[in-house]
Amino acid sequence: MSDTKKEAGKAVTEAPLHGLLAEYETPTALVEAAKRVRDAGFKKWDTYSPFPVHGIDPAMGIKPTILPWIVLVAGLIGCGGGLLLQWWTNTYDYKWLISGKPFFSIPANIPITFEMTILFSAVTTLFAMLILNGLPRHHHPLDLKKRFARVTDDRFFLMVEAVDPKFDESDTRELLEETKPVVLDEVLEDRVTSDKLPRGLVYALVVISVAALVPFGLIARARASTMRKTRIHIIPDMDSQTEYKAQRMLDFFPDDRAMRPQIPGTIAVGQLDADDHLYRGKVNGAWALTFPKQVPATEATMKRGQQRFGIYCTPCHGVAGNGDGMVAKRATALAQGTWVPPANLNQDYLRVMPVGQLFNTITRGIRNMPAYGPQIPPKDRWAIVMYMRALQRSHKATINDVPAAERGSLK
Amino acid sequence: MAAATDLNPYQGPPVGETAFAKVTNNIARIAETPRPPRAWYIAIAISSTLALAFFGSIGWVFWDGIGAWGNMIPVAWGWPIVNFVFWVGIGHAGTLISAILFLFRQDWRTAINRFAEAMTIFAVICAGIFPGIHIGRPWLPYWMFPIPNQMQMWPQFRSPLEWDVFAVGTYFTVSLLFWYMGMIPDLGTLRDRAVKPIRRFLYGLLAIGWRGSSRQWHRYERAYLLLAALATPLVLSVHSVVSFDMATSQLPGWHTTVFPPYFVAGAIYGGFAMVVVLAVPARQFFGLKHLITMWHVENMAKIMLVTGSLVGYSYLMEFWTAWYSHDHFESFTFYNRAFGTYAWACWTMITCNAFVPQMFWFKKVRRNLPLVFIGGVLANVGMWFERFIIIDTSLSRDFLPTSWGYFLPTPIDYLTLAGSFGLFFTLFLLFCRYLPIVAMAEVKGVHPSAHVHTHEERS
Amino acid sequence: MAQTKSLDDNIRLGDDATKVFKIAGGIGVVFLLVSFGLGFTAGDKLKQFLHSYLLAYIFVLSITLGMLWWVALQHLVNAKWSIVIRRVAELFASNVALMALLALPLLVPIVLGNGSLYEWANPTVVAADAALKAKSSYLNAGLFIARFVFYFGFWTILARYLFKRSLEQDKTGDRKLVGKMAVASGPGMFWLALTITFFAFDFIMSVQPHWYSTIFGVYFFAGMVMSVHSTLALILMWLQKKGRLVRSVNREHYHDLGKMMFGFVVFWAYIAFSQFMLYWYANIPEETQWYHQRFDGDWKWVSAVLLFGHFVIPFFGLLSRHVKRSKKLLGFWAVYLLAMQWIDLYWLVMPSMGTTKLPFSILDVTCLVGIAALCIAGAAFQARNVNLVPTKDHRLERSLAFENI
Repeated sequence: MSDTKKEAGKAVTEAPLHGLLAEYETPTALVEAAKRVRDAGFKKWDTYSPFPVHGIDPAMGIKPTILPWIVLVAGLIGCGGGLLLQWWTNTYDYKWLISGKPFFSIPANIPITFEMTILFSAVTTLFAMLILNGLPRHHHPLDLKKRFARVTDDRFFLMVEAVDPKFDESDTRELLEETKPVVLDEVLEDRVTSDKLPRGLVYALVVISVAALVPFGLIARARASTMRKTRIHIIPDMDSQTEYKAQRMLDFFPDDRAMRPQIPGTIAVGQLDADDHLYRGKVNGAWALTFPKQVPATEATMKRGQQRFGIYCTPCHGVAGNGDGMVAKRATALAQGTWVPPANLNQDYLRVMPVGQLFNTITRGIRNMPAYGPQIPPKDRWAIVMYMRALQRSHKATINDVPAAERGSLK
Repeated sequence: MAAATDLNPYQGPPVGETAFAKVTNNIARIAETPRPPRAWYIAIAISSTLALAFFGSIGWVFWDGIGAWGNMIPVAWGWPIVNFVFWVGIGHAGTLISAILFLFRQDWRTAINRFAEAMTIFAVICAGIFPGIHIGRPWLPYWMFPIPNQMQMWPQFRSPLEWDVFAVGTYFTVSLLFWYMGMIPDLGTLRDRAVKPIRRFLYGLLAIGWRGSSRQWHRYERAYLLLAALATPLVLSVHSVVSFDMATSQLPGWHTTVFPPYFVAGAIYGGFAMVVVLAVPARQFFGLKHLITMWHVENMAKIMLVTGSLVGYSYLMEFWTAWYSHDHFESFTFYNRAFGTYAWACWTMITCNAFVPQMFWFKKVRRNLPLVFIGGVLANVGMWFERFIIIDTSLSRDFLPTSWGYFLPTPIDYLTLAGSFGLFFTLFLLFCRYLPIVAMAEVKGVHPSAHVHTHEERS
Repeated sequence: MAQTKSLDDNIRLGDDATKVFKIAGGIGVVFLLVSFGLGFTAGDKLKQFLHSYLLAYIFVLSITLGMLWWVALQHLVNAKWSIVIRRVAELFASNVALMALLALPLLVPIVLGNGSLYEWANPTVVAADAALKAKSSYLNAGLFIARFVFYFGFWTILARYLFKRSLEQDKTGDRKLVGKMAVASGPGMFWLALTITFFAFDFIMSVQPHWYSTIFGVYFFAGMVMSVHSTLALILMWLQKKGRLVRSVNREHYHDLGKMMFGFVVFWAYIAFSQFMLYWYANIPEETQWYHQRFDGDWKWVSAVLLFGHFVIPFFGLLSRHVKRSKKLLGFWAVYLLAMQWIDLYWLVMPSMGTTKLPFSILDVTCLVGIAALCIAGAAFQARNVNLVPTKDHRLERSLAFENI
């Protein structure tokens, strides 16, 4: 009746009983048998089938697994973890602005959070299921029963284990016979195959483990030591370039500088600025008394001048040009002794100063005033000068300068 | 009672001595046969040549730079990203068949879900290669992962390209796990039937000691349901995240809210088309006509009809809203698509995706294998063109006319695209050769013989 | 594989149908008259009335249309689990004709040029606005009415066709009818998709005609599906309370309804998030102004309620299969989700009133009760002499014996 390997004859007959195995041809027979065994009060038993048999769970009294709860917890961890990852890296550890979006952009963080939830849940589902099922289990006494190989094909099995408290060799056998199995057999504990790892495998694992530590060792050594040789840079990536950078020395040139000064007399394209009047405020070497022809005396120019004056000049010179701008007031209040007050633009000497000279002052600066030439294009500077003239005139204005229509409101 | 061949074939009487043994024999022998059919050798010769060409062209791009492709300004995302989106989309059908049809209790899925899932894995592998090789400095893709480093350099999580990394990565992982888990019982079958020790060892290793215990089946079933329930929102999210690559921009033709469901519908359409293209020859050459029946082919054609119509719906939404919005950039983009320099591609796309599947309204067409196969091929062509139209034409004609440019593919572009098909089919053919291509345990589980008659019920 | 069970139950409403018809009909008429009264005497050119009426109208129509869609879907996919509840859905789907009539209070003001709700209906406003002028070839009273006639015409024809065939099936049990209904549902579904989308564009999206979103039709669809499954669950629970269908509809069916409710809570959230996040990300003023309005003042609370109440809470609430199999708990969530659908539609429509404080008005309640009651009366009217279950459908027995996974 026992079906065992031919090689280990003596050891076989001394092997203890593992359980009784009944084989069935249909799922219905299996379910009926399962109910009998369940009702008889056995606990250490199981049924085996090539596919999950409908109704076997209640027939065996299998309780619902806690797997869904484990997966729920894993999912919540994934969700929280995803949010935490994104918050910590982009908002806390290294904050950086992208397209003006908030540092912690929750709408943008949702997709990854969602994926992490699914990932953690799914990986946990598989591995928790395997762990709860006790898999991998590469060895089982049933593997010695040749007939049992049909469990993955088309046969159904039921085994009651000998360690069950209700197990009795003859009574249990009788019970199982009543369920009309195709075959009823004994399963013996495996005393035939070795349960030791093959030598070769052990040696291989040892060698691989040791070899795996080598790279880490090398890294540790490299991090803990210094070295004069140039490091190995596998992919150059334009990381170290042989060009000469600004402020570097180069003994090729007599002055040892890598940076070369501009060749005298060269002018960049578009920088010729030949028109003296427009660019330098000079006509035939003397300060210009009139505005250049590119700057017409129109309301548009005046308005432009007013706007530009408001931007560049009012902080120091004040809105009306009296030299009482915010900066001036503050500097006076600070009284540090280094301050030269901005000029009151409505003083007489400035009223008679040629417009070209005024233009030049704006361009080149004077005393504490910086050069505004680099900031303000020439035409705008002329517009500012034009507005200054308007301001100066308004300080010594009479009622006749006011348009007739508006005189009434002033009286 | 309707004839068994018209409806679900599993409503017929059991076949032979045990139906289960027949299922096992028919499928396991494909993996066990010492010599696969000649067609397999020819197919893998062609596909592996293409796969070699694929790797060769990638190597060339690494050596020479991105200029080896046709990528230029303004069309900086040329074919590589089109191919990426195309392949990711193809993968979606496998997950739909495995997960969503499972949740909807569609038993007919058991004949095709295994190789559809395999198709997903291989499609995602092909897809994932493209972002890795198109970044210009292909030695730095690890920057996409949040690996702690001394520069405090983290990925930019607000970017949809980074979301892609997580979405496609999760999708690949979960699909792989789901595919593997589904195979465990069948690997057990192959292990138990294996005669040669090396096969027994390898299948046994992979089957991790599965013996069909009902207590284990209980948890396994629960895990299967959970994975199906998780994979469903996952598959919707993955192609939505891929669509976000385009939709979060401000580019007309890219920035539109319907992209997420539109891309998902298109992905399922293209994916099912690929399943059809694989299933029709596979059932022929591997002798699986009684398992993958005309009923299955019909159902796949119906799903193609539905998803193709959804894609057509989305086209309509885009065109109509482009008019309704009266944003002249948006309107121009669509006018240009339909009548401009890429009109030929646009009409190919609309024909293949919206019009061709309409033939599946007719039962005669659904049950005509050559027509269904051609429909599948045209659908794949159409879906590739759809990605091309969306990505390349919108870039080619954007806001400033001085920036406009016409994209021209280079021979390396063609080789890379063809080569990706080579990789896909090589992997698929290897799968057919060595792994169980139909889910034997699931097929048995839905067979009428599996029904348990208890004395309380009427049969 | 197919388990079956035979029908053994009280499947007719009989006098109860007439009673419900009279009571609900009475309530409906009274509340509508009160609504009209309050609306016309408010002195705001019907602004509050039109807004409240539109809200109530779309809420009830989303359920009615949803019923029609649901019936067509069950036919199309040859679903077996739902046969036992199909007739109930058909009764409510037949209300589309009634809903066409109930749209008049919205249509007449448009024809008369009243722009209180739809500003494009007012010619003066359109003339002064370049965008509206450009859209006026679509957004004008004439075409609007024509499209309305098309939508409701199609819906009425489809609903009547499916209902009539279904009732015929009760008499003859002819198998061919199953095929006929399935064949009609194919193109039916196709045109449902288009008509529902453009209905949503016309009636809801054009309330703020400068804004647009290609996903809007899908958004409306998501809420519609969630509502229809919730409503079906509640109707069945009420019927069972009244002693009908007690043995036919069991927790397996409620479980499936619950699954769809859950699934579409998630689907709604996915669509809502897609729309929001894409507009947030690109930050284009034409698109974001609609959202800015909904984050301004009191509206931000409504938005928060939608995020947590329409998604987070019901997600966890409906996750467990225990909840979906319990009538009490599922009933609670069904009512909850319908409330959320109403809040969602409120959030869509009401900001066009132009206030940062929530424009609550008694009209919101009276219009809703009025329209809903009339629809209940409509369904009860249809149910007077009709089986509550398609008795001769050959798939019924499988539906009765159906077991969930």
